[in-house]
Amino acid sequence: MRRPIVVALVAAMFLAGCTTAESLPEGRVDGSAPRPVDARDPADIPTQAGAPAGSCDPRASLRPSGALPGAGRMPAGSTMAQIVKRGRLVVGVDQNNYRFGYRDPKTGNLVGFEIDLAYEIAEAIFGDRNKVQFRTVTTAEREKAIQGGTVDMVIRSMTMNCDRWQRVAFSTEYFSAGQAILVAKGSKITALKDLAGQKVCAATGSTSIRNIAAKAPQALPVSGADALDCLVMLQQNQVAAVSTDDAILAGFAAQDPSTVVLPERFTEEPYGMAMKKESTDLVRFVNGVLEGLRADGTWTRLYNKWLSALGSTPQPPAARYQD
Amino acid sequence: MAVLIVLGLATGLAGAIGVRQRIDLINGATARNGELTVAAQRLYRALSDADATAASAFLAGGVEPAAMRERYQVDIAAAAAALSIVSGGRAGGEQGDAAVAKIAAQLPVYTGLVETARVYNRQGVPIGGAYLREASGLMRSSLLPAAQSLYEAVSEELDDARDNAGAFPWFAIFLGVVTIVALIVVQRYLTRRTNRVFNVGLLAATGAAVVLVIWLAVSAVLAAGRLDASRDEGSAQVARLAGARIAALQARADEAHTLVARGNGAAFEKDYVEVMPRVTELLALDGADATTQAAAQAATAEAAKWLEAHKDLRALDDGGQYANAVTAAIGTEPTSTASIFNKLDEQLAGAIEHNGERFEREVDRAAGALTAADIGVGLLAVLLIVGAALGLQRRLAEYR
Repeated sequence: MRRPIVVALVAAMFLAGCTTAESLPEGRVDGSAPRPVDARDPADIPTQAGAPAGSCDPRASLRPSGALPGAGRMPAGSTMAQIVKRGRLVVGVDQNNYRFGYRDPKTGNLVGFEIDLAYEIAEAIFGDRNKVQFRTVTTAEREKAIQGGTVDMVIRSMTMNCDRWQRVAFSTEYFSAGQAILVAKGSKITALKDLAGQKVCAATGSTSIRNIAAKAPQALPVSGADALDCLVMLQQNQVAAVSTDDAILAGFAAQDPSTVVLPERFTEEPYGMAMKKESTDLVRFVNGVLEGLRADGTWTRLYNKWLSALGSTPQPPAARYQD
Repeated sequence: MAVLIVLGLATGLAGAIGVRQRIDLINGATARNGELTVAAQRLYRALSDADATAASAFLAGGVEPAAMRERYQVDIAAAAAALSIVSGGRAGGEQGDAAVAKIAAQLPVYTGLVETARVYNRQGVPIGGAYLREASGLMRSSLLPAAQSLYEAVSEELDDARDNAGAFPWFAIFLGVVTIVALIVVQRYLTRRTNRVFNVGLLAATGAAVVLVIWLAVSAVLAAGRLDASRDEGSAQVARLAGARIAALQARADEAHTLVARGNGAAFEKDYVEVMPRVTELLALDGADATTQAAAQAATAEAAKWLEAHKDLRALDDGGQYANAVTAAIGTEPTSTASIFNKLDEQLAGAIEHNGERFEREVDRAAGALTAADIGVGLLAVLLIVGAALGLQRRLAEYR
């Protein structure tokens, strides 16, 4: 009679004491640095250009037709007249390119060389430099923004090349850049040839990323949605170098004194304002405005205001026309 | 005849232990998981609010307003506190562990990025914005999904704990019924053998067994009802309200990020348009009490106001009046979307707290329904055994 009771008691105690020691979690997590949004490692290299370099003169634009119409009195039916009717000029710009087009964190306003150029165009159209609306666009979205009509023009360190001429129209050149390399001070990378086996960053959809693949085929290209994301990744040791236009890199070096731009400049990147291919009247008008800015010293004044850190003030890039 | 004693003992033990376990489940697992669910939800909210606040502070320009900095710091502290509670509770099983480990590892990384952004912003260079975008990307692609997964795992555990606590004690009741049947069989057998109609001991034992079974059944049904109420009137409402609050926060972050992106934020605006209807959808509450309904209605009205104000804000931004759009988003005047959002958030916070209290009350009542049932069932079992033993002892003695 006792045994079953003992068995029952033991069973009951076992049931009641069902708390066995829990094992601790493994707690293993990935400790690598976070990646900027939409950064790609390895980068997608854009497919070969539709129109190869040398198949056109990328710097040649459309000649201005006669004298500029007075501000606010645009020819009826012209693209400029439509802009006047809307009441503002919409310009696609950068908010991350130090001294060219960037958001001043202290005021929240967009400022820089390219922003001032946009003000000059608005001044010429409206007689009021403030009738301009800025929309930031990423490097990869510039052509889409123009073709889709979300902006009237893009002034955003955009290289004029034969491939892009197929889809958009450029103004005459407003700045001459060239591709270079930025590394951390003391880096073993001193020239293009040292990039083999190293991660090199440029903006998605830029000419820079294609140039890296072409000129340093052994390098490992990484791309950021914005060129500035490349500086973030350089600071976080996710890439060994950044290679893009020297003008952009000079802005990086100014923001982070621990980095340096290497002297080698291995491409030519003429910057033009991009507009819809069909809006030839607007292209001619903008070229007329640029002629004026070059001639009356405005270009030099703006260069000195924003870009003096790049070195002694050069002559404004000469206008070249297709005819 | 020992069979009767063993049966009685087994019934008593199974009943009393079962009741004890369910009380423990209610007080322990259910109440504890309820708190852990609240902590997991607080964690998500704090992280999401930090993201929205950091974006707003960036929009404010220059050195961010002290109030925004403070709100961000409170969010980070709240997130860390909630994380320590959830991780201490070891809730959510493997899924929970993985989420906790991820958040614990990445929260310091996130704050590091935000602080880097802040330093650069103070120096007036644009790379601060790039760091803020990276921080926000980390928050949205990694931290918030982990917090969401943690919340889901913990609330699933709450449901499991509640189901277990509210389970009907079939085994104990089955044993009890078997005991009653055995007692009746024995008594009929004895009546036939001895011609005595009543055996006081066995009769008392039978009575005790019947009361025991009824008590077990009734208390279990009552407790289960209270637990259901704790879900329907407590945690289910909290879950909906918390869902609405989180959706509103996400919309708020979207609104700020659209402006930060400055013309390049179509993806954020699209997200806002998708998320906002969820706020009102979740606020259509079923079975909530009057206080909650009133809060939900007030919140819905604020959400409608917000949609209107947001439309105006977008019109300003799309129409080229960026500075005015920023003011409309982060200004302190009552018409700004910041003020409207804060009112909406306060309504929801109040309603969540109210329903959290109701949850606790119903869980307490569920435990109350079982109070004394363990001792009562134990005593009845003793009575049953003693009665049966005495009754049989007399008969056995007569045989000697």
